[in-house]
Amino acid sequence: MHISDGILSLQWNAIWYVIALIFIAFGIREIKQRTSEDPSYMPLLALMGSAIFVIAVWHIPVPVTGSCSHPIGTPMSAIIIGPFATVILSTIALILHIFLAHGGITSLGANTFSMGIVGTFVGLGTFLLFRKVGASIWLSAGFAGFIGSVMTYITTAFELAISLNPDSFFQQWIIYSLGFIPTQLPLAIAEFIFTAAIVKYIVDAKPEIIKRLGGVVNG
Amino acid sequence: MDNFIKNCIILLVVCTALMCVLSYVGYISGAEMGGTDAAVEETAAETRGLEAEGIIPSVEHFGDMGEYVGFTLAGIVGGFIFGYFWIDIKGDNNA
Repeated sequence: MHISDGILSLQWNAIWYVIALIFIAFGIREIKQRTSEDPSYMPLLALMGSAIFVIAVWHIPVPVTGSCSHPIGTPMSAIIIGPFATVILSTIALILHIFLAHGGITSLGANTFSMGIVGTFVGLGTFLLFRKVGASIWLSAGFAGFIGSVMTYITTAFELAISLNPDSFFQQWIIYSLGFIPTQLPLAIAEFIFTAAIVKYIVDAKPEIIKRLGGVVNG
Repeated sequence: MDNFIKNCIILLVVCTALMCVLSYVGYISGAEMGGTDAAVEETAAETRGLEAEGIIPSVEHFGDMGEYVGFTLAGIVGGFIFGYFWIDIKGDNNA
């Protein structure tokens, strides 16, 4: 999810920026509205933003593959504070990651799309689907983290393949996805565990936080 | 010390220990433990003869030490912000 500058074509960088900006606009509107209703909403967003910032830049070693990668944190955030605000937080986190040599300014739209939009909405969709079929909160949250994490990297592979290899797009998409998956699967399991644990913990210990932040756990 | 702080400290110790063990296992098996993002990106870029650029200066410009210091500062700042606002939330709950 941290594609560097100079990799994607100008055209695709522009397309991902436009898509990201649409979601960011909705996010700004949501945050403005909620802040006017509840002034304490902003510091609570900062809390979740700092969590996403650290989680998504955290190098987790995976000795089985001899490499390391990052969890994403956005499915957890989407469940707790809602999806559009999460897109804003992940964009801010990705901007700060650039200074830690992760990602790039021209590829910010693409990285926001994979981590901030796909990770968020696929994770949230998974959570809602599992809740609808009667799964417990921790199981639903866990699968949201797992699937959101995997889908973020499959989307990154998609972005690379469609920009760099349009002639053999499908084949390259599979190749790049297979490059990510061996390292990302153990991390997706870790994402399952911490998303399930944190959401369950907050719901049990501080359910009012979810209510105040506009999350979707209740229901 | 309340249960939340106890749980946080336990989680911190477990995560740190786990990462140290995993890194050590990777180290003794001779693996490079490089980032998957960069590896896949390089593979993809090579198909078109491209190379990653750094438009905005990052901690990499300060060498290995820059990365250590940068990530440490990022962790500290992120942790302080999280802790500060968590206290706010706890305060509201107790009010």
